[in-house]
Amino acid sequence: MVMRRTVGLVAAATATAFVVAGCGGGGPQSEGDEKVTGGAIVLGVLNDQSGAYSELSGRNSVTAVELAIADFRAKYGDRAVTTDISVRSADHQNKPDLANSKAQEMYDRQGVDLILDVPTSSAALRVADVAKEKRRLYFNISAATTDLTGKSCNKYTFHYAYDTYMLANGTGRTTTEQVGRNWYILYPNYAFGQDMEKSFSAAIADAGGRVVGKDGAPFPNTSGDYSSYLLKAATLDPKPDVLGTMQAGAELVNVVKQYNEFELRDKGVSLAVGLMFITDIHSLTPAALAGTTYTDAWYWNFDQQNREFADRFQQETGARPSFAHAANYSAATQYLEAVQAAGTDDADTIVAELEGKEVNDVFLRNGKIRAADHRVIHDAYLAQVKPQSEVTEEWDYVRILDTIPAEEAFRAPSPDCTL
Amino acid sequence: MLRIENLSAWYGEAQVLRDAGLHVDPGEVVTLVGRNGAGKSTLLRCVMGLHTGWRGTVELGGTALGNLSADRRARLGLGWVPDDRGSYATLTVTENLTLPPTVGPDPWSLERVYEAFPALYQRRNSAATTLSGGEQQMLALARVLRMGARMLLCDEPTEGLAPLLVQQVGDLLREAKRHGVTVLLVEQNLRFATSVADRHYLLAEGRVTAAMENSEVRSRERELLSYLGI
Amino acid sequence: MTALLQSTFNGLVSGAFYALLALGLAVIFGMLRVVNFAHGAFYMLGAFGAYVLLAEAGVPFWVALVVVPLALALLGMALERAFIHRLTRLDPLYNFLLTFGLTLILQDLVKLRYGVQSSPYEAPAGLRGSVDFGLFDFPTYRVFILGFAVAVCVGVWWALARTRVGMIVRAATERPELTRALGINVGRWITPVFGFGIALAGLAGVLAAPMRAVNPLMGADLIIVVFAVVVIGGLGSIFGSVAAGFGIGMVQAWAEAYLSAFPIVAQTIVFIVMAAVLLWRPAGLFGRAEAPA
Repeated sequence: MVMRRTVGLVAAATATAFVVAGCGGGGPQSEGDEKVTGGAIVLGVLNDQSGAYSELSGRNSVTAVELAIADFRAKYGDRAVTTDISVRSADHQNKPDLANSKAQEMYDRQGVDLILDVPTSSAALRVADVAKEKRRLYFNISAATTDLTGKSCNKYTFHYAYDTYMLANGTGRTTTEQVGRNWYILYPNYAFGQDMEKSFSAAIADAGGRVVGKDGAPFPNTSGDYSSYLLKAATLDPKPDVLGTMQAGAELVNVVKQYNEFELRDKGVSLAVGLMFITDIHSLTPAALAGTTYTDAWYWNFDQQNREFADRFQQETGARPSFAHAANYSAATQYLEAVQAAGTDDADTIVAELEGKEVNDVFLRNGKIRAADHRVIHDAYLAQVKPQSEVTEEWDYVRILDTIPAEEAFRAPSPDCTL
Repeated sequence: MLRIENLSAWYGEAQVLRDAGLHVDPGEVVTLVGRNGAGKSTLLRCVMGLHTGWRGTVELGGTALGNLSADRRARLGLGWVPDDRGSYATLTVTENLTLPPTVGPDPWSLERVYEAFPALYQRRNSAATTLSGGEQQMLALARVLRMGARMLLCDEPTEGLAPLLVQQVGDLLREAKRHGVTVLLVEQNLRFATSVADRHYLLAEGRVTAAMENSEVRSRERELLSYLGI
Repeated sequence: MTALLQSTFNGLVSGAFYALLALGLAVIFGMLRVVNFAHGAFYMLGAFGAYVLLAEAGVPFWVALVVVPLALALLGMALERAFIHRLTRLDPLYNFLLTFGLTLILQDLVKLRYGVQSSPYEAPAGLRGSVDFGLFDFPTYRVFILGFAVAVCVGVWWALARTRVGMIVRAATERPELTRALGINVGRWITPVFGFGIALAGLAGVLAAPMRAVNPLMGADLIIVVFAVVVIGGLGSIFGSVAAGFGIGMVQAWAEAYLSAFPIVAQTIVFIVMAAVLLWRPAGLFGRAEAPA
C-alpha cells in the first residue's frame, strides 16, 4: 500500500513540481492599503526578485528607482510638485497570472501611479492589459517582446529599454556582415525565443546572410544539455559560420559552457548571443565568452557620465549596474520630470507630456519617446567581450565596437499598433 | 522459557488480546490453536516485539522483554518464522540463510543445513522467492536453526503444504526439540499439532480459554475441529 | 551512423547524472521509505561546494571530488538525525513535505550568499580538449564523466551485491520488519545509508560544475526529471534507477537529435515515457508490485 501510494505521490509531485520547484521563497511583502492622496506619488517596481532574472534586474532595480527619487528631490527641493514620493515593489516570479494580480493590487490598493520594469514577455503583456484597463502608466524596462509596441500596444504603456528587434538588428546584421553569412540559430522554445528567432532570421536575411539551420530547444531545459544541437551545428552542410543562441540567464550559461566544451570556435563556428547582460558575463567569466558579440542597450563604462552613475550604484548595491538597472533609473527620472512639468500626476496629462519628447540622460542618448507606438528609442551599442588578457578591472568585460543610432536601432512604428 | 501474563493488545481501537497468559517450558513444543482472527499471530508478534500497542508481561528465560526492539529480542535467542515464510526476493538462498547473526550456543552450520536440505543446496545461488512453497518453508526454519535460536516462534508452518512436506516440517521440529530448542507454534492442523507438540493452548477472542494435553486434544478432536471451523 | 553514435554518447553522459542521482534516491527510499525531495538541493550544494572551494581556497577539482561528497554526507546525516528521523514513523507525506521545505531553505541560503547568477567553474586542466574516436571526437571531460559514473554505479552494485553491509541494505530495503525480527539492527544503518545517498548527489553536483550552470536553482530543474526516472525504473529498485537513468538520457538525446522539428516532444519525452510505463507496469519497470509491511 505504502509503495503504491508513494509511486502515485511521486508521479503526481513530479508533474506539479514543474510549477512549484522553480519558485523559491522570497514572496512579496504584504503592504497595508493606502489611499491615493492628492500630493503623493507612488512608483511600483514589479519584477523577478527570486528567480532567474533577479540578478539582472530584481531588487537592485528598486535601488535604482530610489536613486532617481533622491536625485529628483535634490534637484527641485522645495519647488518639487510633491515631496511625498515612495516606492513599492513586488515579486511576480515570472508568472503572468501573478504579474496580473500584483499589478492590479499596485494600481488599486497601493495607489501606484507608475509600474516599472516587469521582465518576462508573457508577464509584461498581461501588465499592459491591466494598465490599459485601469488607465494608469506602465513603463516596461526588462521585457523583450515587440508586441508591447505592436499588436498589444496601448495609450498607457511605454517600452523603454530594448526589444527583440533592437537585439536582432544590431547583432544579426553586424555579425552577418563582419563574421559570416551562414547561421545556425538555437532558441528556447517559448514566446521570447520564437520572437527572437523570427527577428534574427529577418535581420540576417536583410543583411544578405542565410539561416542554414534552426532548432527550438526545450524550455525550461531540465536536462541542461545542449550537446545534440551543438553537434548538429558542427555537421550542417553548408557549415554555419555563426551559432546564434537566444537562450538567456542560466540556459545561456549552459549553452556557452558546452559550446566551449565541444570546441566549436576551433571548428570555425563563432558565437553570437541574442540577449546578454553584464551579469551573465560576470558569471561565465569573460574567458568563456571572449570575442562574442552582442547588442547592448547601455554599458556602465561607456563614458564618464555612465561611470559616475555606476559608482553610485555600486556603493548602494555592491555590483555594477546592468542596462536594466540604468533604464529603471532613467524611466523613474523621466516620469518625475514629466509630473513636475505638468504639475499633476493625472495619467492622461502625463502621456500627453511625454509623447514626442526628446530626452538625453544617463541611459537615453539621443532618446525620443515616440508618439506613434510609445517605443522609447535611443542609441544602442554593438559590444564585444574582451579577451581575458585585456580585462583589467572587475565588471569591465566588454568594448563597444559601434554605436547604433537611435533611428536605426529600433524598428519603424508598427502598423499593428493603434493606441 | 517463555512466560506471558496479562497480555492485551490493540489494533487502533480494536482490542485483539485480552489478558492472555501462557508459558512454554525449556525444550517444550507448544501449539497455539484458535479460529482465524483469535489473535494468535498478534500474540507471536507481541513476543517478537513487532507489535506496537500492547500491555502486559512477556519474559524470555526469566528476563522481561519490556520494550526491547525486535532485533534485540532476536539476539536473545528468539527465532522468527513468519506465516508468509519470509523469503527475500533480492537475496539468494545462501544469503537468506546467512543474513541473521548467530545468537545461540549451538547454531547449525551452513554445511549441515545443505546436507539436510539438498534441494536448497541445488538452488543456493537463486533468489529465495523462486523456490517452491515447501522449500521456502524449510528455508525459513533452517534459517532460525542456523542462527542457533533457542526459542522458535513459528506461525503456521504447514499452511498450504502437501502432506509429505508437512511431515518433513514435523521431522525438523522434532529434531530441533531433541537438541533442546523450545518452540511456540501457531497451528490449525490438529493432527500435525499433536504429532509434534507436548501441550496446546486454545485462544478464543483474545483470551486463553483452555490448556490441553495431547490426549485431551485427540479425544476432543471432533468438537475442536468444528469449533475452529475446519 | 556517426550522428547516432554521437547522440547516444551524449545521452549516456546526461544519463550518467540521472543515474547517480536516481541511485541515491533509490537507496534512500529503500532504506527509509522517504522520497527525498531535497536530493536536487544536495546536487546543487555539490556543485557549489566545488565552486566555493576553488574560488575561496584554491582547492582543485580532484580534491573537491572527494571532499565535497564526504562533507555533504555528514550534513545529510546530521539532517537525517535532526529532522527526517523524527517523521519516518508517520505518513510518508510528512517527510516529502519536510524535504521539500529543506530544498527551499537550502536554495535560499545559497541565494542569499551567492545570488541567483551562475558561478563560474572550469574543467580541470587535464580534462580539457577532445578525445579522438576515429569516427568523431568527443570532449575529454564528457568521456571522463561517463567512465567515472559507470565506475561508481558498478562499485555501488558490487558493494550491494557482494558485501555483508550490502546484503543487509537489500534485506532491509525489501522487508524492514522481517529483517529486524532476524536480529539485524536496521536503525543503525539508516543514517549512514542516507548519508551515502546524499554523497552520490553531491558527487553528481561536483561532476556537473564544469559543464552546467552553477546556480541555486540548478537542482530544482533537474530533480523533476530524476523523479520521473526513479518512477520509471521502479521506486526503490537499485538496478531500475540506474538503467532508467541511462535509458532516459539516451531517449532524450535521440529525441533532440531526430525530432528537433518537434521541440515539444524532446521537452516532454520523459513524462510521456513515465506515463506509458506507469500504465503498463504501475510499479515501474523493475519495481515490485507491493512491498510487504
